[in-house]
Amino acid sequence: MSSDTTNSKGSKVGLIALVVGVVGIAIALFGFMQGWNNDDARPLMSWLIGFAFWLSIAIGMLFLTQIWYVFHARWPTIIRRQCEHFMAAFPYLLVLFLPLLAIPFLHENPGLLWKWMDGTNALPGHGTVGEDPLYTWKSPFLNIPFFAIRAIAIFGVFIVISGLLRKFSFDTDKTGNINNTHNARRLSSLGLFLCAVAMTLGAIDWFKSLEYHWFSTMYGVWFFAACMRAALASIIILTVILAARGYLKGILKQAHRYDVACMMLAFTIFWAYISFSQYFLIYSANIPEETFWYNIREKNFDGELNSWWWVSMGLIFGHFLTPFLCLLWYKTKVVVWRTVGISIWILAFHILDLYWNIVPGKLVAPDHAPGYLVRQFSISIFDIAALVGIGGICIFAMCRSMKKAEPIPVRDPNIQTSLDYTE
Amino acid sequence: MSENYGIIASFPDTPSFFHAAEKVRDAGYKKWDTYSSFPVHGMPAAQGQPRSKVPVFTFCGGLCGFSLGLFLVWYMNAFNYPLIIRGQPFFSPVFPFPIMYELTILLSAFGTLGGMFITNLLPQHYNSLFNSEKFLEVSGDRLVIAIEARDAKYDSAETARFLEEIGGTDIEEVSA
Repeated sequence: MSSDTTNSKGSKVGLIALVVGVVGIAIALFGFMQGWNNDDARPLMSWLIGFAFWLSIAIGMLFLTQIWYVFHARWPTIIRRQCEHFMAAFPYLLVLFLPLLAIPFLHENPGLLWKWMDGTNALPGHGTVGEDPLYTWKSPFLNIPFFAIRAIAIFGVFIVISGLLRKFSFDTDKTGNINNTHNARRLSSLGLFLCAVAMTLGAIDWFKSLEYHWFSTMYGVWFFAACMRAALASIIILTVILAARGYLKGILKQAHRYDVACMMLAFTIFWAYISFSQYFLIYSANIPEETFWYNIREKNFDGELNSWWWVSMGLIFGHFLTPFLCLLWYKTKVVVWRTVGISIWILAFHILDLYWNIVPGKLVAPDHAPGYLVRQFSISIFDIAALVGIGGICIFAMCRSMKKAEPIPVRDPNIQTSLDYTE
Repeated sequence: MSENYGIIASFPDTPSFFHAAEKVRDAGYKKWDTYSSFPVHGMPAAQGQPRSKVPVFTFCGGLCGFSLGLFLVWYMNAFNYPLIIRGQPFFSPVFPFPIMYELTILLSAFGTLGGMFITNLLPQHYNSLFNSEKFLEVSGDRLVIAIEARDAKYDSAETARFLEEIGGTDIEEVSA
């Protein structure tokens, strides 16, 4: 297949993605405005879930690219280029984050989504956020100006590093300059630290601070594990589609898929290890400031199991045990439809994991009765619209980048090793 | 018992050694092996070997470890000598998880090691091939294919002719 037809196919997909993205964003924004006008945080969380899902894929790919550079990995050279294309989504994701960043500045209740942003927000039981000693202690970190500065800095790190890595790699296509590879390696050695800090702060600010009362030192690592799983599953799906469409036909080999699937198995175990360790430490310490976070994900105030208990079980058995057992089998890692199937499965449960981390919250009971209500699990049309809409924009960004550069880094010093790669 | 163990043939270089292995496989021999002092990439496929059975041993080891951990904690903390520790239940899958998990890893490793020994037919201190002076040079630079007499297709004259045809040199019958 000539590159012209591939390109026109690519721009067609990009155009479709853009249209789907804009429609999805429009529906999600409609929900966003409803939440905004009705003082309802749930539709804003739809946006946050959609944003978190696509951001996690981009962050995972950014980490993988840098890890491959640092370890001088030769085999993933052809896969690295696809990651570089997807990383074009970071600036778009910053724009898509702005509606959420607008809440503390433009809404009459700055704490509509992140309730610590408004000191007058009532807490379940009695008192307000401003009177909560835990908030007072955390306020040097959790305050609106610092939050906004951090958000910009976090995206600054992602956009600058991904932009430079893309520039180095694309420039090698044209000039064959080996210094690009050296520079990318040097940048990655520093970039891994910067990205780790940025990602941890992002996870704390955007997801963990929804329940600002809580403590966990493992939250950043959890998000890292989630990002890696999402990115690896997306890489499998993306490269298999590209191979089927002629873009990577004959280039993507069983060995590449096998190795990515092995990493999927490793990060499935890592995700379970981190998620369980977080639970286990809090379970063992048994301190109310920490245990409530897991309590509301299991029981209502009256002690009855709630919807989150089923989601929690779903995560243990669906997000860990099933992919773990399936990926142990060699066949799952090499038979195309099985690998793609388990990748879709992991992505679906990754979305559920994000729901589980973002949506549950303690709500004030009606008439300030003792106890609290728990925001239950639900899937709204706006969740789907945000996931599809933000995804459409990200895929549009990727397709746009694909038109600019070769499908594989043709003059990369390691390209031959990657093309010849066998198990 | 036949008086011969089998026939060995040597090959001058790795490509001819590799392709000869493919021909032996295609000729339908089952009881045979290749010997070299270094690993040859793709040789298992050229010999027509199925995937290793070691993962099965690993999995069974892991399953045993997990169950053992579960049983150990239940037996000690909930059955034989119930103890209240930090107000935790006598038995729950949560707090003993590190024990179950570590035992899973330990017995998986034992399973892998044991499985490797079993599937490789180890330990084996003697092999009739050691009767051949030429075979001993495999630890140096010799590349050898040995077809054993217990193979159903084995016929000392016919097999020797076949090995010569596929490029073997120094063809020699090895006594049992």
